[in-house]
Amino acid sequence: MAGMNVVGVKFKNNEIFVPEVLVAARAMNQGAALLKPLLAAEGAKASGRVCIGTVKGDLHDIGKNLVKMMIEGKGLEVIDLGTDVPPEKFISTAIEQNCQIIGLSALLTTTMPVMREVVEAAKAAGIRDHVKIMIGGAPVTQAFCDEIGADVYTPDAPSAAEKAVELCRQL
Amino acid sequence: MNRNMKKWLEELRQSKTKKPLPVLSFPAVQLMGISVPELISDSDLQAEGMKRITDRVNSAASVSLMDLSVEAECFGANIVISDNEVPTVKGAVVTSFEEAEALEIPAVGTCRTGIYIDGIRKAVEKISDRPVFAGMIGPYSLAGRLLEVTEIMFLCYDEPETVQLVLNKVTEFLIAYGKAYKEAGANGILIAEPLAGLLSPSMMDVFSSPYVKRIVDALQDENFLVLYHNCGNNTVQSLDSILSIGAAAYHFGNAVSMKDVLNRVPENTVVMGNIDPAGELRHGTPDSVRTAVRKLLEECSGYSNFVISSGCDIPPMSKWENIDAFFDETAKFYQEGVLKQ
Ligand code: B12
Repeated sequence: MAGMNVVGVKFKNNEIFVPEVLVAARAMNQGAALLKPLLAAEGAKASGRVCIGTVKGDLHDIGKNLVKMMIEGKGLEVIDLGTDVPPEKFISTAIEQNCQIIGLSALLTTTMPVMREVVEAAKAAGIRDHVKIMIGGAPVTQAFCDEIGADVYTPDAPSAAEKAVELCRQL
Repeated sequence: MNRNMKKWLEELRQSKTKKPLPVLSFPAVQLMGISVPELISDSDLQAEGMKRITDRVNSAASVSLMDLSVEAECFGANIVISDNEVPTVKGAVVTSFEEAEALEIPAVGTCRTGIYIDGIRKAVEKISDRPVFAGMIGPYSLAGRLLEVTEIMFLCYDEPETVQLVLNKVTEFLIAYGKAYKEAGANGILIAEPLAGLLSPSMMDVFSSPYVKRIVDALQDENFLVLYHNCGNNTVQSLDSILSIGAAAYHFGNAVSMKDVLNRVPENTVVMGNIDPAGELRHGTPDSVRTAVRKLLEECSGYSNFVISSGCDIPPMSKWENIDAFFDETAKFYQEGVLKQ
């Protein structure tokens, strides 16, 4: 897992690129899968569940996939809803699967408003107080996160994974 | 219209008042009161849209639709069409080496490629005051759409032979497609290879640049230029690989600093970019566009090989007042420069 931190830093510094990070994250996740039964036998268990997807109208998913793998790498469970995901789907999945976190990705400025719809839908469904909403994607900013009332924005996958763990710990 | 395009490009490079060359076509839907689905399915509307744009703006050239779903659709990909956005692809077409082997190279003219080629043929008849560029996707980006964009990155490591097999097939198709545009009278073609902009320089050397070069070698001559577009994040690091393609000019996105690029490109090679099409032209204001244009020109107009452009395709619903401001501010800036001399 410490290795993944090195990968994260190198990625941020442009020393390695998307394919290398994907391959490293996969190796790490496969390793973790082997260890899981052993850790479970000792009483350790996954410490949280996240559903993640690219919002409706948007089909960019490389960044979302990276975030997903990095969160998995931290030992959380991730439900991948894919791309072009309508707000209702995030909400129903969070409820049915008991997710602590909803992760939203958007690469198009025109699809960013869907993130606000998800926040509103979570409120309407009465899950806003116990489900945290994380958002990201190249055009997304901290200011936008504050504006729509989401909980966390991070600019990249390594920090997204760290934040996810932190949020699950708090809940 | 037949033109000596090498000469045209050299004149553009030497001009003291450079006209912009943005990737501007989809906003024609607003000028014509039509939807994106109508535009992408009718060659007359495409030609008319390009003509309306040339009537309105003083661009260095006319550029046709950057619709990166057309070629993948020909290979059997699922297309998602929406009213106000450019169409896109969902899902993979090839999921194994066997499927890559079985993948058939479609005939040029099938699916919407026929409409797009006709669109150019008709546009060339209408537009005579400036060159007309057709558009198509680059080989790695097309292979990515067929193998799925994240999956192809794994496959480059795990099964490079599958990726290369698909790359060879799409390259053969793209050469034939480009030739059809040439025969239809286009003065050149803009090849968009955004997905390769996420690769490391050494991977780009293996999985993108040699294939783009093959296309350039097959198509480019005095009367037909290849412009290379890449709006990915890592184009500066990969410039050596990108320049090895031998395109006539290069077009970069707003994820990179134009100045960084210009510092590393020979001064006789034209470089275009990179006003943020979404942030500025779609969502900005005339004032913010003017500020962005001026800032970019102040930084880069000292490089004689710089031509201002959008960083990528200008979205269909971009405000025309912003697009007009982009052209107006560029013209003003160069005019002021000329007056000072
Ligand atoms: C690759 C790419 C494509 C590929 C996408 C393939 C795919 N399935 O993903 C293709 C070629 C198919 C494509 C298509 C289009 N694209 Co595109 N594309 C890009 C490009 C070059 C890179 C995006 C990328 O994958 N980056 C790499 C990843 C790793 O970065 P990332 O997504 O930002 O993710 C990181 C962070 O943001 C964060 N993050 C991401 N998600 C999340 C989620 C959470 C919860 C958190 C916490 C963090 C987080 O972590 C990630 C890893 O560090 C960008 C330009 C650029 N340089 O960014 C344009 C870009 C995103 N595309 C753009 C456009 C306009 C389009 C098209 C409409 C183009 C067209 N004319 O057809 C279509 C879109 C169709 C649609 N409806 O979705 C524009 C968007 C403009 C805007 N802001 O609105 C861009 C910015 C290009 C530009 N300069 O104009 N594109």
